[in-house]
Amino acid sequence: MTRYRSTDLVALALLGAGFVAILLAPTDGLQGVLQRLMYAHVPAAWLAYLAFALTLIASIGWLRTRHDRWDHLAVGAVEVGVFFTGLALVLGSVWGKPVWGVWWTWDARLVTTALLFLVYSGYLALRRGIDDPRVRADRAAVLGIVAFVQVPIVHFSVVWWRTLHQPPTVLRPGDPTMDHTMLAVLLLNVVAYSAVFVTLLRRRMDLARGERALEQGRLAPDAPVAGDAVVAPLPEGGERG
Amino acid sequence: MRLRPLLLPLSGIVALAVGLVTVGDLNGNLVYYLTPDEAVERRAEFPEDRRFRLAGEVGGEEVRRSEHGASFTVAGSDVEVAVVHAGVVPHLFQAGIPVVVEGAWRGEVFRSDTMLIKHDEEYYPADEADDALAGPADSGTDRAAGP
Repeated sequence: MTRYRSTDLVALALLGAGFVAILLAPTDGLQGVLQRLMYAHVPAAWLAYLAFALTLIASIGWLRTRHDRWDHLAVGAVEVGVFFTGLALVLGSVWGKPVWGVWWTWDARLVTTALLFLVYSGYLALRRGIDDPRVRADRAAVLGIVAFVQVPIVHFSVVWWRTLHQPPTVLRPGDPTMDHTMLAVLLLNVVAYSAVFVTLLRRRMDLARGERALEQGRLAPDAPVAGDAVVAPLPEGGERG
Repeated sequence: MRLRPLLLPLSGIVALAVGLVTVGDLNGNLVYYLTPDEAVERRAEFPEDRRFRLAGEVGGEEVRRSEHGASFTVAGSDVEVAVVHAGVVPHLFQAGIPVVVEGAWRGEVFRSDTMLIKHDEEYYPADEADDALAGPADSGTDRAAGP
């Protein structure tokens, strides 16, 4: 059953407003309409950064307190973050073909972003491989902390090394090198995509809580799962202690 | 403190990264392109069969398009390199735009077969872009917006 929260509707409304703003924004003098892809590409990349920063915080929180909610936040943020990393890669590729002339090139920004995608996909795979929830959360938290080192590398890759990808326009010292109407449209879309991110993340955390409850039912067969009226079946050849 | 077990892997990663950059010449391998000045200065290192990428702004004069490519110059801070390009010419190619060309030296000329547009980080509508760029910006818009 799906219940809609008021934040879902706010996110949808913002996304709609952002889309209308994209259509109304002034056309870039050099790239033409292709530049409008940026209004989705940049928010996607920003949310990847945000998601993995949340995972870092949640992983530290888990290791310090061992409260389940930190682990739920960590896994939820990674899953949503991997989605937005993938979205940034795909949109960048679609933009790169007509503007640069290639879908892909081995420059530092593209390669580090692809690695970011793969390492956090690995985080999700790691969690699948460990049955004990506590061991799983511990190991995932270590990876969630260590993997974050990539985020500043991805962001500064265009400054530290020579790349085909352009350097930052907004997140840079000084005035953004962009028309201010275009900048306003971009910021509106950053807010809209962030709202979508929040609703996706909350959904995913609900799911993590449900999964955890299910797991506890399975891993502790002695506990009354569905109330005292129902008795969990005995494990094969096992005895109730 | 529970974070102590993290200390060893973290310091290991930092040491590896620092080592790669300083000793392993990681930065040398990460050079995506050479500037025209570097390409001329290091001409001896790049014989005619050694390919590299060259990046610079397309010179204002002497841009000639042909059926199979284009010939033009790319400007560095002190030197200009003549480029003869045979291959696909991207839509945004025009005087004043930075390009990355892939190929090798052939005498004093750089022969390329792959051209990429190195778009910069500036975004402005057509009339403002006209001031920022020497070339005819409106033609770029028409071509990009067309079918």
